[in-house]
Amino acid sequence: MEVHSGDYRARARRIIEETPEVREAVTAATRTFVEHRLEAFADLDEDALSHWAERVKSHALTHLADYLEEAEARLVERGAHVHWAESASDVHRILERIVRDNGVKKVVKAKSMLSEEVGLNPFLESCGVEVLETDLGEYIIQLFGEPPSHIVGPSIHRSLDDIRAIFHERLGTPRDASPERLAAAARELLRNAFLTAEMGISGGNFLVAETGSIALIENEGNIRLSTSVPRIHVALVGIEKVLPKWDDLSIFLQVTAKSATGQPVGCFVSIIQGPGGSAAGEPDGPEELHVVLVDNGRSRLLADPEVWEALRCVRCGACLNICPVYRQTGGHAYGYVYSGPIGAILAPGLVGLEETLPLPFASTHCGACKDVCPVRIPIPDLLHVWRKRAVERGLTSGVERSVLGLWASVVTRPALFGLAEKVAGLIPDQVVRHLPMLREWSAGRELPRATGRTFRELWDEGIE
Amino acid sequence: MSRDARERILSRVRDANRDREPVSHPGPLPEAAEPPGPFTQAADAEVDGQTGVADPVDAFENRLRAAGGEVVRLADKAAVRAWLKEFASEFESVSVCKGVPQGLQPELAAAAPSEASLGVSLAVGAAAQTGSLLLSSREGRQAQLLPPVHLVWVRAQDVHTTLGEALQACREDLPATLALHSGPSKSADIGQILVTGVHGPGRIIAAILGADA
Ligand code: SF4
Repeated sequence: MEVHSGDYRARARRIIEETPEVREAVTAATRTFVEHRLEAFADLDEDALSHWAERVKSHALTHLADYLEEAEARLVERGAHVHWAESASDVHRILERIVRDNGVKKVVKAKSMLSEEVGLNPFLESCGVEVLETDLGEYIIQLFGEPPSHIVGPSIHRSLDDIRAIFHERLGTPRDASPERLAAAARELLRNAFLTAEMGISGGNFLVAETGSIALIENEGNIRLSTSVPRIHVALVGIEKVLPKWDDLSIFLQVTAKSATGQPVGCFVSIIQGPGGSAAGEPDGPEELHVVLVDNGRSRLLADPEVWEALRCVRCGACLNICPVYRQTGGHAYGYVYSGPIGAILAPGLVGLEETLPLPFASTHCGACKDVCPVRIPIPDLLHVWRKRAVERGLTSGVERSVLGLWASVVTRPALFGLAEKVAGLIPDQVVRHLPMLREWSAGRELPRATGRTFRELWDEGIE
Repeated sequence: MSRDARERILSRVRDANRDREPVSHPGPLPEAAEPPGPFTQAADAEVDGQTGVADPVDAFENRLRAAGGEVVRLADKAAVRAWLKEFASEFESVSVCKGVPQGLQPELAAAAPSEASLGVSLAVGAAAQTGSLLLSSREGRQAQLLPPVHLVWVRAQDVHTTLGEALQACREDLPATLALHSGPSKSADIGQILVTGVHGPGRIIAAILGADA
């Protein structure tokens, strides 16, 4: 994927001013995620769980090479092909080979952020392969020709009306089709694709070293189908996805689902040890399994003594959902596949600080993200590290001012700021707690004074 | 080339960790911190006069129902026969997974999984904590996925309290794919409105064998 993070400010402003409905949709959706998450954790010892999960992931990362070798050995024993990719172009070469060797013409894809990160769809299309995203949200944004705007709900920035319009245009459904009707149209088209594609591509939520298992969480069943029906299954797995033991898996499956959507676990989980079909003496399933272990900047991030903890991330999206800055624009402003607080710390690490510069400044310093992270990544501290480095390297002339200035101008215009929050209701507690800090920060940028009222007053006015 | 990539990645990872204090594995999650599965825990505890003990079958039923699944309990063969006959009358054709015993197969015309109106499978286990049915790819996956309705048989004795216990029971003999089905297929990707039966089965029915109703 091309990185456009340098345009963050212009993109954010454009989204806020030209498509205010995006903010409404994103705020409403993320607020629902937050509520469901709160309910899911209400009867849990969240502290004990997150400390445990943090330690398991840190253990895995500090023993990563051994665990990767162990996972590889287990997978190979079961007849899987394991490939190693240092970069996006390595992934392309590996996939090109598999596609060529097998005469693949059609691919069904299950949601994979890593495949977005390495720009896989355009590459496969350039090889003459038809690629169909099968997750409903991914399918919707594929119709729009857009990147995902959220790591869990890729199409949350699109309203029902937007989706009705594009389905009408592309699939011929009625202009006022119900969500059920729209889903049925997508189901029919994609069902045919599942049955005719030669290859399915997935990501991987976890890679269990002890058993060589790839675990995938979902709700629609498209991942199960993509990894079960076509003759070949290719799983793209970031090297940081390792869990040491089989016994670690049950808690990670639950914590990730609860933190993402508030569910006890996804409606479907696939735990894949090897190819199926006749190779495994099973009635069906893919005859070939290719697992591509992808570095693409992760080992460099691991070597960074101040930022390596970002690699614990399980991509639950909780930090996006709670983030007041993310809520204003959705993910597209960030110009990178991972958005929100986690995107702002991963982007400089995986791509480079200079290339992704304003992102570490796209923050109100409210700290809400830290409190919701199920693996206790100290996101505000890591943002601070990147900001400090940007200053040290003399990369900040005007950057901080322009990004903070953008938010100052937004938050001091109740008509704008209040809009989404009015629709969505109250701001998360964690954010409200930090309001005075926000106020000072805005005041330092001299904008709120212009109205003679405090940010809090304006805020209240916006949501009254 | 790919060999070199492997060596380079592994050596970069080793170098990255060289000066870092290794973090030890914390061991199993303390039991007290396990996510509670059984909604009935409190109520049962009152009845039994003891804490933390709930019937896993009750808890499983509650969880799966909360996720939109259906549950029936069938105490013996007679109950199975009567229920299955009635249930099967809603459907035209069936696709049955390999390991499902004769007596648990509805009397319907057999069809390919992509054509059948009902799929029938036998779970290798279940977990009350998450309302999950554990399905093995050895039984054949397509009948678990392609028909719009999925009937899953599970024995009461195979219903475990936690997901960890249910997975542990499968650990020694893992199929190519072990799947958890914990509700009907659903999505909120269209304007945050919940739709069921998106790609996988829109109805899932767990029929628990050897459980009193
Ligand atoms: S940083 Fe934490 S909260 Fe954010 S997506 Fe990753 S795991 Fe979830």
